Amino acid sequence: MGISDVIPVPAALDDELEKWTIWGRPIADVWFTTTENIHRIIEMGPIKNVLNWGRKNSVYFLMQPMGCCGVEMFVFGAAPYDSDRFGCIPRNTPRQTDVMIISGYITRKYLPVIKNLWEQMLEPKWVVAIGECAISGGPFYDSYNIIQNTADYFPIDVFVPGCPPRPEQFIEALTNLQDKIKQRKDNRRGY
Amino acid sequence: MTNANDVLSSLQSAFPGALTEPKVESEMRLWVAVDSKKIVDVCKFMRNKLGFDHYSGCAGVDWIAKKEFEVVEIMASHDTSNSVVAMLKVKTPRDKPSVPSLTGLFWNANWYEREAWEMFGINFEGHPELYPLILVDELVGSWPWRKDFKGYPDTTTGNRIVETVTNDGYLEYSVAPHPAEVEAGTVPKERPKYPSFREREERDIKSDSEMIMHLGPQHAMVPGPFLLDVLVEGERVKKAYLDIGYIHKGIEKIMENRTWLQGITYTDRMCYVASLTNNECYCGAVEKLLGLEVPLRAQYIRVILEELSRIQSHLIGAGEFLTLIAGVGFAPWQYMIIDREGIISLIESVTGARLTHTFVRFGGVRNDLPEGFADQCRKTLKYTEERTKEYIELFEQDPIYHMRMDNIGAIKPEDGKRMGAAGPVLRATGVDYDVRKIDPYLIYPELDFKVITGTKGDSADRIDVRLREILESIHIIEQCLDRIPEGPIRTEAKIPKKIPAGEAYYRVEDPRGEMGMYVISDGGDKPYRVKVRGPFYATFQTLTPLLEGMYLADVVATAGSMDGCPSEADR
Repeated sequence: MGISDVIPVPAALDDELEKWTIWGRPIADVWFTTTENIHRIIEMGPIKNVLNWGRKNSVYFLMQPMGCCGVEMFVFGAAPYDSDRFGCIPRNTPRQTDVMIISGYITRKYLPVIKNLWEQMLEPKWVVAIGECAISGGPFYDSYNIIQNTADYFPIDVFVPGCPPRPEQFIEALTNLQDKIKQRKDNRRGY
Repeated sequence: MTNANDVLSSLQSAFPGALTEPKVESEMRLWVAVDSKKIVDVCKFMRNKLGFDHYSGCAGVDWIAKKEFEVVEIMASHDTSNSVVAMLKVKTPRDKPSVPSLTGLFWNANWYEREAWEMFGINFEGHPELYPLILVDELVGSWPWRKDFKGYPDTTTGNRIVETVTNDGYLEYSVAPHPAEVEAGTVPKERPKYPSFREREERDIKSDSEMIMHLGPQHAMVPGPFLLDVLVEGERVKKAYLDIGYIHKGIEKIMENRTWLQGITYTDRMCYVASLTNNECYCGAVEKLLGLEVPLRAQYIRVILEELSRIQSHLIGAGEFLTLIAGVGFAPWQYMIIDREGIISLIESVTGARLTHTFVRFGGVRNDLPEGFADQCRKTLKYTEERTKEYIELFEQDPIYHMRMDNIGAIKPEDGKRMGAAGPVLRATGVDYDVRKIDPYLIYPELDFKVITGTKGDSADRIDVRLREILESIHIIEQCLDRIPEGPIRTEAKIPKKIPAGEAYYRVEDPRGEMGMYVISDGGDKPYRVKVRGPFYATFQTLTPLLEGMYLADVVATAGSMDGCPSEADR
């Protein structure tokens, strides 16, 4: 789409403007464009770094204790390890959170629930798998009721082994996630 | 004191011919097989005449070689002078398993029998609501705890979750069976009917002013998911439904497929807030099978660590409750977690792990106490004692807290006994039931401690009992530290890889109440059956009748004051 299609301008100016580019794209695309195009340009441009800086410093996580790691998650969120220092604040409802910590075994009965919770979270959102059970089923690998491959169901960014991992490892997991967000290497879906 | 021999002889004289294979293991354990036609009468006689008012659950056992199922009813008493545990076995043929239900006699038999039914397919005649409790719909009917259950099929990859849109426009998810599972026959063709949420709504909602509300499965009440549906009319709860099994891992089945020693790691993960008592319960049962004597120093180490574990569990229990009654905010919770860290690092200095210790071994413990443990322990305990006294004072003096919590979720002592509540929930009603006193294990008889009881049995009392139990545990540990002898920490006897055939029932006092394990060996290197009688499973059942007639705002406070551990309830 050229400029002359929208505003009556001399055709010569139209030709001239089509030569102008911004980040390798015709400037007309930027001026008269769709939301997707704007998003694509933000995605490429340095403004994204500013947005990501904001996002990485406010990764609120969902308080969703599911197993042994859930107890360590309590402690991680409380005073002794103080996750608030890194902008990781525990919230009780999925609508206010950015990160879902899978803190234990996912059973057949709980999988539909956790899928629902994941969909209730607003984008951008991330998943962190904590503990052996969340990665591969852990000690319960041969149970009839445990889902083994969590990564098939969720775009997991950070895997933390341990049974259960120490609260320090929770801190490491979230700082790793922050680095990934900063370097645009995360598995984030949508915008 | 009632003796197992007396119980047996009075049973035999009352029911001649109905009892077979009697076995008196000690003064406190009685094993007897009862004719399935007479079991209700025998239990009625035991409850009314012999004072066995504590139904501790039932275990299904699959004797596939003998082609029969066995339902073992575990009967005990709340009376301090009667510490006999009677294990009544009811046999039923494997092709058409059916035994009479005890729900008419014991209210709390409901859940235990439902579990036995959904795991083994044993029908309970006369059970009011025989539908699945723990299992997800697609597994119901495959009877996973039977010995001929075809393995553990779910090792597949790929997108197996199926999205379906219901008539009302809701999205529902389910895990579809894999072709391999269908082939192996683990997916049942006909499933028992489970009342869905809609059906329940149609059945129970009588007027326009009523509605059903979900609380859960994801919630902040206790560390683990469960679903609590409440039928409310305005602000009043009219009926509550509890749905558990969201973190059911099938530990009892997994333990049948691991060696005896590997089983200890699974007891850790049953209730991760109190893993040491779970270890103790399993190891104690196996030691009974082996006839092992634990060295004195190991017994002291076990008691010290188990009491430390009790302290940290009660701290997290009381702290969580405070976050739930809001208004108080998060401050006390933070304080209690800070105190708990001190205890946790003490335990860690001995066992090397924060939560899952796997520390207790058959006939001893894994390693000795480190150097300087006693001093560090005394220092931490002194601090914890001061802080706990402060909390107790705070709770006693705060008028707002008492206005909020007094008489909320109160249980009468006779109701507590009847419904089978355990631990601090039962003791808060005024019943002085503590396994450490009633059925003493380790060195508890030599130690001086009181059983803490409450008076009213309400939510405030439960927290008060927990906090005062912390002081009692500190008193126990201090005695142990003074008296601990030198010596070996593990028995000299060699632990065989194959445990001799037999069966044992061992019970301990978990932070949440009485925990029992029923272990059967067939002489192999793996357990034939491990049945866990969890304390929170018992207490959880009392929640639904308790919530009826309560304000909606009190539901969370009452559920939180139970100090739940759904992981142990689901196993």
